[in-house]
Amino acid sequence: MKLTSKTLIYYLLVSIPLLLLAGLYSYFLIQGELREGIEDTLAKESFNAEQVIVSFKEPKNVYLDYDSLSYIKPTAKHKAGYLFTDTTIYNTYEKEFESYRVLNTYYTAHDQTYFIRISKTTLEEDELMEGLFSSFGLIIGFLIVVFFILNWLLSKTLWKPFYKTLNALNQYDIKQHNHRQFDKTSTTEFNRLNHALNEMTNKIHSDFVRQKEFTENASHEMQTPLAVVKANLSLLIQSPNIKEEEMNRLQAIENTIKKLAALNKALILLAKIENNQFTENTNVNLKEKLETTVSNFNEVILIKNIEVELELNNNLPVIINPALADILITNLLQNAIRHNYKDGLIKISITGNSLIISNTGRPLCIAEDELFTRFKKDDASKDSLGLGLSIVKSITTLYNIKIDYTHLSGMHTFTVNF
Amino acid sequence: MKILLIEDEPELRRSIKQYLHGEGYVVESAADFIKGSEKINDYQYDCILVDITLPSGSGLDIIKQLKENNSKAGIIIISAKNSADDKIIGLDLGADDYLAKPFNLAELNSRIKALIRRRSFDGNKSIIVNEIVIIPEERSVKINESTVNLTAKEYDLLLFFITNKNRVISKNTIAEHLWGDDSDQMDSHDFIYVHLRNLRKKLAEKGCKDYVQTIYGIGYNFKVNG
Repeated sequence: MKLTSKTLIYYLLVSIPLLLLAGLYSYFLIQGELREGIEDTLAKESFNAEQVIVSFKEPKNVYLDYDSLSYIKPTAKHKAGYLFTDTTIYNTYEKEFESYRVLNTYYTAHDQTYFIRISKTTLEEDELMEGLFSSFGLIIGFLIVVFFILNWLLSKTLWKPFYKTLNALNQYDIKQHNHRQFDKTSTTEFNRLNHALNEMTNKIHSDFVRQKEFTENASHEMQTPLAVVKANLSLLIQSPNIKEEEMNRLQAIENTIKKLAALNKALILLAKIENNQFTENTNVNLKEKLETTVSNFNEVILIKNIEVELELNNNLPVIINPALADILITNLLQNAIRHNYKDGLIKISITGNSLIISNTGRPLCIAEDELFTRFKKDDASKDSLGLGLSIVKSITTLYNIKIDYTHLSGMHTFTVNF
Repeated sequence: MKILLIEDEPELRRSIKQYLHGEGYVVESAADFIKGSEKINDYQYDCILVDITLPSGSGLDIIKQLKENNSKAGIIIISAKNSADDKIIGLDLGADDYLAKPFNLAELNSRIKALIRRRSFDGNKSIIVNEIVIIPEERSVKINESTVNLTAKEYDLLLFFITNKNRVISKNTIAEHLWGDDSDQMDSHDFIYVHLRNLRKKLAEKGCKDYVQTIYGIGYNFKVNG
C-alpha cells in the first residue's frame, strides 16, 4: 500500500471517531437546549392554564388542543410542583408514533384542585437528529473524497522526486555509473535520501572498480613469477643425471604451472570481459567462424573418433567483438568435445537467429543452474579449469544474448539466441 | 649473435641468459628502462628482448627509440600483459614478435631463431643438420636430397626439435608450441605421440637416423652429436 494512502487511512481512522464524538456531543448539547425551550413553553402554557382556571365560575373539564393531549381536569388529589415526563403517542393521522414532552401539575383555585397536563411534540428533536446525522455523514463523505483527491495529488507532486529516485535506483547499472545519479530536489528528506544514495553508489562503484582492477592486476603480477618457475624448470630438466622418477615429479610441477598459467589467463579474460574492455564490435559471420573452429579441432575430433554433423543454414551475421566471438564458439565446441564419449556425436546447427550445439555425453554431475558458475566442474574432467562456460556466460551477458542448456535423451544441448 | 635482454625480474633474466648462452648467443641484460635505453644507444645488437612494464619507463618507448635510431635489431616483446592492444601497439611500433609470460625458454629460443633467420640476408636460408635440410621459406624438408612430405604439424615439430637440438624439451612445451592457447584444452600429449610416430616413420623411410630420444617422464631430446 502506498505511504500516502496509509497516512490518509490513519487520518480517516482518527477523524471519523472524532467526528462521531463531536456529532454526539453537539446532539446532546442541542437536545438539552431544545428541551429547555420546550419545558419553558410547557411552563408558560401551564401558567396560562392557571389563568384559565382562575377565570372558572364552576369546576369543569377543558381541552386545550384539538387532539385532547393537553387538558385541565378537576381532581381530588393534590401534589405540589411540576412533573415532566416523556411519552409516545400514536398519531392516527400520520399513522406513526410521535414523541411528546408532557408537563403534569396541579393547581388549586376557588377551593377546587385541578390537574393540568400540557403535551408538546418533540418533533423538532427528531428532525435535529436527522439533520445532524445527514450533515455529519456529508462531512465524512466529503472528507473521504477530499482524502482520495489529496492522496492522488500528493503522490503526483510531493512524492514525485521519490518515485524518480526509485526509478533511477531500479535502473542503476554499476557498469554505467555516473557520479550524480540522483538529482537534487526541493524536499529536504528526499535531498538527504538522494545524497546518501549518491554517496553509497559512488562508494560501491569505486569498490567495484578497485576489485576488478585488483583481479586483473593480481593475475598480471602472477605471470612473471610463473615465467620464472617455468624458465627454471626448462633449465633444470637439461641436467644429465635426472632419474625417471624425478623427471615424473618435474613433469607434475610443470603440468601444475601450466594449469596455473591457464587459470590466470582465464581469470584475466573474465575480468576483461566484465570490465568491458572488448569494445570494437564488427559484423562477424558466425558460420565461417564455426567452420574454422571445427577444423581447428580436427585432430581431437579424429582421435576421439567423434562424428560432427554440421547443419549451417545461414551465415548468422552478428555484431560482436571478433575475439570474443572466437572465444564463445571455441569454448562451446571445446565443451562439446571434452565432455563427449569416444565415438560420440556433436551436432551443430544454425537456424534463424539460433546457434545450437549438442553433444553426447554422461549426465551432468552438477546442478543445471550451476553449469555457468565459476570453478564448478564435473569430477571426470580433471584437466578442465571450470571456467570455460563462465566465460561463455559473461560474453553472452555482455551482449544480452540468451543462452539455454537442455538435456534430452542423452544429448546435452546449448542454444544461443543471437 | 648479440642479444640484449631488458627485463626487471632478476631470476627470469638469469634463466633466459643461461639458456641463450647455451645456444651460443652473447647475451647482455638491462634491469630497467634507463639502462636499457643507454645500452641501445651505445651498442648494436642483433636481437632485443624487451619487457613492456619496466621500472622507470615503458618497453614500448624502447622500441620507439630503436626505430628512431634506425636500428636493424630484431625486437621481441616479452610481456606479462597478454593484451591484444599492447600486442598491436608493439607490433605497429615495429616489434617483430610478441611473447606472453609465462613462456617456455625453448619457445623463446625458437622465436629468436626464426626472427634471425627472417632477417638474415646472407642467402643461407636453409637449416642443415647432418642429412636433414630444412628450407623454412618453403616449409620443406629434404633427407639426402629427397623431399619428405610432412604435414604442417609434423613440419613444425621437426623444426622445433632442430631449433632446440640437444635440449630436453617437455611435452608441455611442444604442445604449447604446436597448438598455442588451445594446448591446455585437449589431451595434447597423446597428439604429440601420434605426430612424432608419423614423423619418425616418414624420416626413417628416407633413410634418416632417429635423432629423437625419449626422456622418460618429461619429453624428448633431439640429440645431434657435435
